[in-house]
Amino acid sequence: MAGAAKSGHQLQLLDFWVSPFGQRCRIALDEKGLPYEYLEQDLANKSELLLRSNPVHKKIPVLLHAGRPVCESLIILHYLDEAFPSSAPLLPAGDAYARAQARFWADYVDKKVYECGTRLWKLKGEPQAQAVAEMLDILRTLDGALGDGREFFGGAAFGLADVALAPFTSWFHAYERFGGFSVEEECPRLAAWAKRCAQRPSVAKNVTPPEKVYDFICGLKKRFGIE
Amino acid sequence: MASSENNAVPPAAAAQPLKLFGSWASSYTHRVQLALRLKGLEFEYAEEDLGSKSEELLRCNPVYKKVPVLVHAGRALPESVVILQYLDDAWPETRPLLPADAFDRATARFWCHFADDKLGPAVGAVFASTGEGQEAAVRQVHENLALIEAELRDGAFKGRRFFGGDEVGLLDVVLGCGSYWLAVFEEVTGVRLVDADAFPLFHAWLRAFEALDEVRDTIPAVDRLLDYARGVRHMLLSAGAAAASAPAAADAPTAARRLTSPSTYDKMAGPAAGQGRPAGDLQ
Repeated sequence: MAGAAKSGHQLQLLDFWVSPFGQRCRIALDEKGLPYEYLEQDLANKSELLLRSNPVHKKIPVLLHAGRPVCESLIILHYLDEAFPSSAPLLPAGDAYARAQARFWADYVDKKVYECGTRLWKLKGEPQAQAVAEMLDILRTLDGALGDGREFFGGAAFGLADVALAPFTSWFHAYERFGGFSVEEECPRLAAWAKRCAQRPSVAKNVTPPEKVYDFICGLKKRFGIE
Repeated sequence: MASSENNAVPPAAAAQPLKLFGSWASSYTHRVQLALRLKGLEFEYAEEDLGSKSEELLRCNPVYKKVPVLVHAGRALPESVVILQYLDDAWPETRPLLPADAFDRATARFWCHFADDKLGPAVGAVFASTGEGQEAAVRQVHENLALIEAELRDGAFKGRRFFGGDEVGLLDVVLGCGSYWLAVFEEVTGVRLVDADAFPLFHAWLRAFEALDEVRDTIPAVDRLLDYARGVRHMLLSAGAAAASAPAAADAPTAARRLTSPSTYDKMAGPAAGQGRPAGDLQ
């Protein structure tokens, strides 16, 4: 593959254009200045390479480093920090507690945001109202974690927790429209944080514009036969 | 590869006491207790009544309100896998839980996530169900175990005594503190989960893990676990019968997970579940 020779580090990313999990990896790679080959995957017709690289889950994203697969976005983020220690770190060196906090919040985003968001746009009636209430709780919790005066979750430096959540800022718009709320009103600190993230080249370049995410979800709803 | 020496807490902080909030039947709590013992770190243990959580716990873990929470140098750390990595970072001079190589670390993390995201809930679903639903859950557990068995046989962990190599590591702690429930659930439900013929390497690993001194000091006595499990099984099946007529949960695995988290066990099993012998007495 000609593409693999492009990058001296031999990094390839198996991904899907709108995936927030894949976008985490793209953001991290750009933040670290690591060149890589992006390989768009057809999830309706999965490639041999994807199935071979992630036989357990058959999911993207998968990072291939000299052909060896690393699966799961947060694991990929850790791997990039550890395999490329001279690149801009996602986890703060020299502070075990700060690292633990970053991991805690990245894990919180993983456990909560996507699953609740999916229920929010997929369901109707009472279960949807429940999902909206839960999403507001999640967003307020994240807003609280930011607190006042902190630029990013870890402080001054854009780090693991920020990368974990940044792609979902595009999904806020869809959650707002389906859920009938405003992130700006409910969680002003989170909204301000989202704007700051959007100004970073790595985020601006890699995160799907909110309207496109909304259209994508509408397309999914049609396909699932949801009104 | 990042040196963990750079991530230590300052020496004064490292010397400060450790306090662990936990629940005697919680495998997540056992993970932390085991890790602390493996690293030779002294700690104070506070048993939580999960049916009536202490103010201190709720203050230390406002987000999840769960155990385990480790408090060190005045700071609270929830989530077992976060805690385990913190221990490696903060005490780099102790035996490491994670391997040194970045790719091996990624592999260990992957299977830890698999244990928590797939295997654990599947086992929980077996425990919470009967009949055809249970049969499907058992098949799921077997599929999951088969994947781990394959890694032991031909894959990432080929030829190893433990997932961590010659000594236990993060994945052993995560998978091991949970796998002891397999035999307990088998006894209580009458269902075969870990057949030594079907999963010989997993079986051998589990026996080796359970024979370690630090593990024996951590895992509660099997008859205590059996009593507890019988009580929870009874509760789950009664609640399940009631829930069957209620609107279906949007997500069955999440419902099963909710039913089988330790805090729910205690809530449903009532005050008796959290009581019993004091924290230090596990036998």
